[in-house]
Amino acid sequence: MTEKRGTVLGLAALGVAMAVSVAWFAVNRQVGIPDDRTLFVVGFLVALTLGVAAFVRGTKWYGGMAAVLAILIGIFLPFTMSISRQDVGASAIRVGDAIPRFTAVDEFGKRFDSESLQGHLVLIKFFRAHW
Amino acid sequence: MVTVSTDSVEELQNGRDAHGLQATMLSDFDLKVTDAFGLRNTLFHSAPPGDEQEALPVPATLLVDRNGKVFWVDLAENYQKRSSTDLVLAAVQKHLD
Repeated sequence: MTEKRGTVLGLAALGVAMAVSVAWFAVNRQVGIPDDRTLFVVGFLVALTLGVAAFVRGTKWYGGMAAVLAILIGIFLPFTMSISRQDVGASAIRVGDAIPRFTAVDEFGKRFDSESLQGHLVLIKFFRAHW
Repeated sequence: MVTVSTDSVEELQNGRDAHGLQATMLSDFDLKVTDAFGLRNTLFHSAPPGDEQEALPVPATLLVDRNGKVFWVDLAENYQKRSSTDLVLAAVQKHLD
């Protein structure tokens, strides 16, 4: 009987983990992550706790597999959130500054000189590579 | 419109083809441009396995006027967030008014 309850907990843990993950990736895709991400973190921690509880109670193999997955998700996604903070140094460019002159190679392998931007309204976007 | 990332020329071309981007896409693998703007991330550096970059720029959007002066900056204090298109368009509109 206790083993059965652990199995239910394991499956529930995975259910919660999946539901919160789907919601998390949905807001990520729309770049609409809310400033307050507490709800997501709570959701993942609930999944994590349920997963651990499943093992405490004892579970059938499939409940255990589900619990392990839930625990991994419950640890990993909050971890990625915790390391996602970014900051620049004191020398970062500010409103009112003139942009520095720079050269680089463009997507066709051609040399680019920032001088060519003079006289144009320009949007410059820095991003964290293709992935 | 100019984009700057640490992608190689080849990766930029793939990205351009995949997303149909119409921008000058600069390859800044040695972070020279990033550092010229002071936009290197100083906090925890996270990158996919196998990526050899020692650091990455903080995602940033800058609007530059015809004289080369910055009139709007948006820095992502969290890389999971980005400047919304609406914010950028509103800033351009305000500048042109």
